[in-house]
Amino acid sequence: MKSSTNTVIDAHNLVKVYDQKTVPVYALNGVHLHIERGEFIAIKGPSGSGKTTLLNMLGGLDIPDEGYVEINGTNITDIKGNKLIDFRLHNIGFVFQSYNLVPVLTAKENIEFIMLLQKRPATEINKRVKELLLQVGLNDKANKKPGELSGGQQQRVAVARALAPKPQFILADEPTANLDSVSAGNLLDIMAKLNKEENMTFIFSTHDQRVIDRARRVITLEDGKVVNDTAPARIIHNENEMA
Amino acid sequence: MLLRVAWRNIGRNKKRSGIIIGAVTIGLAAGIFLMAFYNGMIEQRVRLAIQNEVSHLQLHHPDFRKDFEIRYFLPDGSLMQKQIQSLPDVTEAAGRIIIPGMIASASGSNGIIINAVQPQTENKVTGLKQKIRTGSYFNPEKRNTILIGEKLIKKLKLGIGNKTILTFQDSSGNMVSAAYRIAGIFKTSNTPYDESNVFISITDIDSLAGLQHQFNEIAVLLNSDKNLTQVQQKLNNLFPTTEVLNWQELAPEIALTVSVGEQMVLIFMGIILLALAFGIINTMLMAILERTREIGMLLALGMNRLKIFNMVLLETVLLVLTGCPFGIGIAMTAIGISNHTGLRFKKFTEVYSSFGYNDVIYPELAVRQFIAIMVLVVLTAILASLFPAWRALQLKPAEAMRK
Repeated sequence: MKSSTNTVIDAHNLVKVYDQKTVPVYALNGVHLHIERGEFIAIKGPSGSGKTTLLNMLGGLDIPDEGYVEINGTNITDIKGNKLIDFRLHNIGFVFQSYNLVPVLTAKENIEFIMLLQKRPATEINKRVKELLLQVGLNDKANKKPGELSGGQQQRVAVARALAPKPQFILADEPTANLDSVSAGNLLDIMAKLNKEENMTFIFSTHDQRVIDRARRVITLEDGKVVNDTAPARIIHNENEMA
Repeated sequence: MLLRVAWRNIGRNKKRSGIIIGAVTIGLAAGIFLMAFYNGMIEQRVRLAIQNEVSHLQLHHPDFRKDFEIRYFLPDGSLMQKQIQSLPDVTEAAGRIIIPGMIASASGSNGIIINAVQPQTENKVTGLKQKIRTGSYFNPEKRNTILIGEKLIKKLKLGIGNKTILTFQDSSGNMVSAAYRIAGIFKTSNTPYDESNVFISITDIDSLAGLQHQFNEIAVLLNSDKNLTQVQQKLNNLFPTTEVLNWQELAPEIALTVSVGEQMVLIFMGIILLALAFGIINTMLMAILERTREIGMLLALGMNRLKIFNMVLLETVLLVLTGCPFGIGIAMTAIGISNHTGLRFKKFTEVYSSFGYNDVIYPELAVRQFIAIMVLVVLTAILASLFPAWRALQLKPAEAMRK
């Protein structure tokens, strides 16, 4: 697939092999992906299918044994050390399954923190923090520490933190896995709204049908390979056909 | 922000941080107090040596100290003494005739140094009068009196009012003897000194020794230790053919004690800090282990390795610095009180005395030493943080977040 100006991620023939000394296990086995700006993608698949490994590759947290990942035309596989960390800081937002907020910082500080790393001016940081807290509906919880927030609220802070550096896209690894249905619904509403209003690209790895149902594109992985890459309606259609 | 995170991280595991803060407090308090105690001991030894034994400076004939022979005296000693007394930095200068000799009683004899002194000026230089425990100081109306040390008088089985015989060589090399009546028994904090020195008035021996109005030693007490080098230089210029020595040159064993004492304190402090460093390393490694996932997350989000390193370093330094005020507070309070009241070691009076120390120690700490301790503590914290910080840097975000 050719890159367009709207392309955010181009992944070419990604291969990741574990336990190479004994029996090679392919976590990823020739994955190609092309992701455009504003997509709302769910990557699904059984445990061990390679979802998290793929997300790690796309986020520059892991290096493929073969292939490469281009983000906005930059091959991140070639970037190493602090340059790669800096690239992540300015281009990629992360939301993790277990929220991973800094427990000693308040909600406001957790969001500020990432922008301070970007060395943004204080006035801009303050303005953006207020905006983000409002967007995720937590403006009244700004000074609460993660331990004083519910799981859903913590995950919303994590989303605000991911958005804070104005990244190219957000990678969310099982973001609703630890949430009840109401909190998960609220979180997905917020992310869908951000996707729609700000054209923010979201890529989820998930088992959660609620997420899959809301995604406009669903990529199915099995044994490290993309076995399906389509919209949910089409998946249902395909499954019906198979039945 | 790094500082804020590092500071708040200290409160995350209160028990563990508390243990390290407690260790820093105890270690620092013990280290500072010990240093102050040694300082007090050393300062006391130097002070006693200057006041009782050698004074700040001594002037001799260049050959006198080789064999302590009476014939090596200072020509124009009285004139020299007056010139020295007129110097602005000099408190007093005492002329002496020093003669190695023998003291004898009916029950025995002993080799001694006969210190023939000018009673008034000697008292101003060495405070000899204050050291009289029994009997009295020299009385101008009484001739041929002698002051003997407590230890020596016991050895010779003598008492106040008893006669004793001093035998020595005069300036012509003839053996002379004279009888002296014991007027007083003195006691300094240096038992060996008391056992080997006796004092008589210079007027009771000068004609006998053949040294009228002459001295073979002038002891100089200064207003302040700080002027020592300057006055020594001045005296060297004034009396170029005379040997002018300061207390460090006169009593190198005391100078050695000062230097060894300082080294010992540093070694002791080093041991405390080393033990502390291992405690800190252990604590911080535990903290890193507990926060593996969090550090992985920070790396993933874009916190570079230098900042991670700085965060661990800051946390360690802050953890140690938190304990510092308590340690310093305890140490300073203890030093303040004991400096005022003194620490008395009654049970060890004899032991202390045999090494020339008083049994009351007044701990004291110089500002430069305090600063040195603080620098050492911070350095220890920094060094102790290096290994945990290095371990944190080895983490890979994807792997760390799986833990």
